[in-house]
Amino acid sequence: MTDALVLEGITKRFGNFTAVDDFSLRMPAGQVLGFLGPNGAGKTTTLRMVMSIIYPDAGRITVLDHPNAAEVKDRIGYLPEERGLYRKMTVQETLRYFGRLKGLRGPGLRQRVDEYLERIGLADWKRKRVETLSKGMSQKLQFIAAILHQPELVILDEPFSGLDPLNVDMLERLLGDLRRRGTTVVFSTHQMSQAERMCDRIVLINRGRKVIEGTLNEVRARFATHFVMLDGEGDLEALRQLGGVANAQITSGHARLELADGIDPNVVLQAALEKMRIARFEVQRPDLQEIFVKLVSGDGKTPHGADQE
Amino acid sequence: MDKILAIARREFLATVRTKAFILSVVLMPAVIVGALLGTHWVQKLAEEEKMPVRRFAVIDRSGQVYADLLAQLAAFNAQRPNQRFELEPVAPDEASEDALRARVNKGELYGYLILAADAVAGDGGCVLARKDKQLEVGRELEERINNAVAAVRLRESSIDPAEIARLRRRVPISEVEAQTGKAVTSNVMAQAMTPFAFMFLMFMGTFGISQGLLTSLIEEKSSRVIEVLLSAVSPLQLMAGKILGTALVGFLLLTVWGSVGFGSAQQYRVADLVTGYRLTIAALYFVPGFLLLSALLAAIGSACNELKDAQSMVFPLSLLTIIPMIFWFYISQNPASTVSIALSYVPPIAPFIMILRICSDPDTPLWQIISTLAVLWVSVVAAMWAAGKVFRIGVLMYGKPPSLRELARWVRYT
Repeated sequence: MTDALVLEGITKRFGNFTAVDDFSLRMPAGQVLGFLGPNGAGKTTTLRMVMSIIYPDAGRITVLDHPNAAEVKDRIGYLPEERGLYRKMTVQETLRYFGRLKGLRGPGLRQRVDEYLERIGLADWKRKRVETLSKGMSQKLQFIAAILHQPELVILDEPFSGLDPLNVDMLERLLGDLRRRGTTVVFSTHQMSQAERMCDRIVLINRGRKVIEGTLNEVRARFATHFVMLDGEGDLEALRQLGGVANAQITSGHARLELADGIDPNVVLQAALEKMRIARFEVQRPDLQEIFVKLVSGDGKTPHGADQE
Repeated sequence: MDKILAIARREFLATVRTKAFILSVVLMPAVIVGALLGTHWVQKLAEEEKMPVRRFAVIDRSGQVYADLLAQLAAFNAQRPNQRFELEPVAPDEASEDALRARVNKGELYGYLILAADAVAGDGGCVLARKDKQLEVGRELEERINNAVAAVRLRESSIDPAEIARLRRRVPISEVEAQTGKAVTSNVMAQAMTPFAFMFLMFMGTFGISQGLLTSLIEEKSSRVIEVLLSAVSPLQLMAGKILGTALVGFLLLTVWGSVGFGSAQQYRVADLVTGYRLTIAALYFVPGFLLLSALLAAIGSACNELKDAQSMVFPLSLLTIIPMIFWFYISQNPASTVSIALSYVPPIAPFIMILRICSDPDTPLWQIISTLAVLWVSVVAAMWAAGKVFRIGVLMYGKPPSLRELARWVRYT
């Protein structure tokens, strides 16, 4: 198995509204995928289709080499966006119940529940009812419920939303453990900084369509060439006239040039050398936040050259 | 299957541990016994209640009856010293009916009665006017007036009333069971109420418990546990597990009630009322009855997000299930009538109708028992099938609950 998850041309409509539109994705096993997009982009709908909770109107999904996630439910862990636990059950009962639903049994299950409770610092709470837990605690509990059976593929829908920095940190550590163990992780978020820290690959979705996909470096590289910065002396104004420069902001001794698509920064550097004495040259590496804002603002159309498999 | 059992187990434990369940185990039979014994007690209490003296004006146009009427009411007053009647003779030419009515309105009189001139010899009869319309008092007065007139007539024919009473004394009848020849030890009232008690307990076991399915589903939906569950099990497994779990709760309840009923029937020598046969029949009808209802409720619960919405969708179903409650007396008195037989084939209420009929008539034909059970089981399968389809779509639907027409569409197109 090389791909843990393959989506081919997935489309889902609710009435007249197309929530997911011809969406394709390949997800190599053992990596962490950030599933990015603004609110309402179709992330949750896509993840629910991956889980076979709802079914696509068109397209094909392959999960862990099976056409239907229902057949491999015990090998997948899922944390839905809307959190929910039985309020009247105790912490321990909750984990044992969900463990049993995932096919775990007997003493092994009990031992593993205790182990995990110890790790997330809820061991003292195991006989307390879920309704007495704080929000952060119950979120941790639910996360553990999703990964208790040590699944090969973990799908987390907005796992960080509503957590304070301490709990974010602890969740990131748990995710790190999963990744080291070789678990494939897909998590959706609209916080770019998180995705930058955690992900091997990202896919950006907007209005149901894929906007961009690739490893973090690939995505950055594709946008990195768009800006170059120059510091130095000479005829800076002349830089405006260089071939391939679409836009320029020039102050004394400093220029920020926006390059047209497909222009090699090296060529621009060479041309600039003839006009000025260069003290500093930098190809700007935009952070994900900028890429996200740039791609999503406007009408959400896929930018030229960004859509490739 | 393991997962279905895991879900059923949770559902069972979650319900059985609630206070509501523990209360219903104890309270419901208590209510029934209370209702049976209570009517007797309340009646006795009513007879002893202290009432102001009720004064009657009597116009005796026949001129013969007043003395006997006085004697009759004196006997009544002796029986019920707290609820006395008093008579006031009014000469026929002295007072008009209008004047008497005025006095009743003023509160001086409880009522008046006018005996016709030929009340004794002919059929002239008597006019009775009184302030209230209480049944028992009316019956009592009519009885006393008749006794008084009869006493006059007997005297006129020179017959001794004591001799008449001796000749008309009741024949003691001891009842035995036709099948076994054993003496029937229970009283008539208890016998008449038994079919109702069986039906009522089955009704509560079915309705009271399967309602829990509705609330637990809506709770799962509104707390969004449902999505976690569906990531581990299929909607059909979830539905099956929940129905199984709730059905076990219902069965536990009926078992407790049944064995307590059986035990105490032996204890109090009314063993002919709670028999093994009747309990077996109750169990046979309870299972499909419960499954049918819970399939319908599962479908409704899955489609709704608020208890309010669910209850309004359950309403037509509830209307139907009132039928055995309304007709129980008719059915238990006429277990083999066409209406009773026809109602036995209406799926959701068939178990209740049949338990009424079988408890009232041990000769209910076997073919009817088998065919009604068959109809029930066929509708269970059909309801499960349709509910499964609604359930799969419903559990993930949020927002406005679907109309019945939409529900029908879900069934057809999935």
